[in-house]
Amino acid sequence: MIRTELKRGTAELAVLSVLEEGPLHGYEIGRRIAEQSDGALRYTLAALYPLLYRMEQRGWLRGEWETGPSGKRRRCYRLLARGRKMLKPMREEWVDLFRALRRVAKVTHA
Amino acid sequence: MGTLRLERTEADEVVRELAGHLEECYEALRAQGVSEEAAFSRAGAEAGNWAELRRGVILVKEGRMSDRVKQIWIPSLVTLSGWAVLGVVIWSPLMWESWNAARRGVILFPPLVILYWPWLLSLIFIGAAGAYLSRRAKATGWRVYLSGAFPVLTVGVVFAVTFPFAFVVDAQVAPFFKITSMLANVVSWIVLPGIALWLGVVVEGMLRQKRVAD
Repeated sequence: MIRTELKRGTAELAVLSVLEEGPLHGYEIGRRIAEQSDGALRYTLAALYPLLYRMEQRGWLRGEWETGPSGKRRRCYRLLARGRKMLKPMREEWVDLFRALRRVAKVTHA
Repeated sequence: MGTLRLERTEADEVVRELAGHLEECYEALRAQGVSEEAAFSRAGAEAGNWAELRRGVILVKEGRMSDRVKQIWIPSLVTLSGWAVLGVVIWSPLMWESWNAARRGVILFPPLVILYWPWLLSLIFIGAAGAYLSRRAKATGWRVYLSGAFPVLTVGVVFAVTFPFAFVVDAQVAPFFKITSMLANVVSWIVLPGIALWLGVVVEGMLRQKRVAD
């Protein structure tokens, strides 16, 4: 079970990574992250939505209301160019972090 | 969630979005065969801490306003103040001399050119100061350049307002000379200072990148 403090640090990269595949609304973003992480990363609304709004303000995402196939209106988030540019340095940051942890705390990752 | 301290339409949108999320969560649980009561309870738990959610949303939405102040207005005020102080320090002794001479009936042609270039070069530091403050508040792109070049934008507005009057007053002066004079003023007080300020912004950016790389 991953502690909330650790999960918080992963949220930006997780959100940007799932949106790299295509636009999604908030519920789908949370669901995809949980699915792709085998349930290890689950974000409550309190963690997810302030983050989405913050990333939107930074110009990394754009949220727009859309009508889905079921006829319901949902706010869909689309990754913008600036957000896409953040992915590479963020991923490299995590690689560096795991490399450092492997040396210090004998942590290995898949 | 209580009352969100936001504009009515914005608050409604946030509530609608969160409600939509919980609704989808509930429907997904029901589709898995979870009972209505259990699905309702588990969907509600998705929210996490409601007070934290409310705080988080307000902080981000309100932060947008304070971001603009920290990234644009404060740095712009600093560059404008720097421009004004520099102007007073460099130009006022000269203007004072000219005015005193005029009172004595002597027309003095102050050596503006001698002081203009040092003034222009020192604007690089003013632009860099504005860029530093703006980038420190995590601004990027046009916000940084706006903060650095704010003084020339102010001068530009003043010129845009006052120049048309030049065609009304001093009717004896030929339009060609007025236009030439205006262009000279625009180049001297807007274009070249703007370039100097923006140079400061660019140099600050390069030094910042070098610091990060080190």
